[in-house]
Amino acid sequence: MGMFDALNISASGMSAERLRMDVIAENLANANTTRGANGQPYQRQEVILQERAPSFGEVLGGVMVTGIVPDATPGRRVYDPGHPDADKEGYVTLPNVNPVSEMVDLITSSRGYEANVTAMNAAKQMFSKTFDVLR
Amino acid sequence: MVGLQRAMSGSLLRQQVLANNLANANTPGFKRSDVDFHGALAQAFSNQPTPQDVAGTEFSVVTDRSTTMRADGNNVDVDVEMSNLSENTLDYQSLTSVLRSRIGILETAIGQVR
Repeated sequence: MGMFDALNISASGMSAERLRMDVIAENLANANTTRGANGQPYQRQEVILQERAPSFGEVLGGVMVTGIVPDATPGRRVYDPGHPDADKEGYVTLPNVNPVSEMVDLITSSRGYEANVTAMNAAKQMFSKTFDVLR
Repeated sequence: MVGLQRAMSGSLLRQQVLANNLANANTPGFKRSDVDFHGALAQAFSNQPTPQDVAGTEFSVVTDRSTTMRADGNNVDVDVEMSNLSENTLDYQSLTSVLRSRIGILETAIGQVR
């Protein structure tokens, strides 16, 4: 058992939450993008989190990101015949991004990040107390 | 002293477990774990143990699979984890100050090393 494993666990949680925030920001930025990288309307991306199995000598491994996957639900269709990306019937398919649920996800990830920072500070306090014993 | 040492490593282990719960607060299907190091040590002290018995006390990480907080199966309650975290930090601080004063007594007995 490494002494500073608790710091690594909190760090894994912080980087996972930060990646979620990045992806949410990407979704919000592309909330109205009708032409994604593949020419199709942008699809909202989602981060998949998984508990990381402890490696040798560790008790617990923290969290890891297994992937960023597109959400396949169909996008909203809006009647706008003048739009260059409108189909034959005059409908434009907008991305399947719902700004309200993205904002809620943003709040959960930022609270999650704060929780990890608190855990890291608690661990730091404990370690500095250990060093005080030797003084 | 041996008991203090075991309690301190139990507290450090609990810190890891609580940090892991918080790191996985948004992982679908994750179930929280905890360590009852107080209980394990109380058990070890209950029947006139030798210092070796106490030093050999093992702490087990127990996963709570019986509850669910959210639709995704996760059962981490961030507020509960926060209160556990501060409880554990205070636990550890009290242990280190007891150890510090024990060392102080030893220093006095040795004859003012410093």
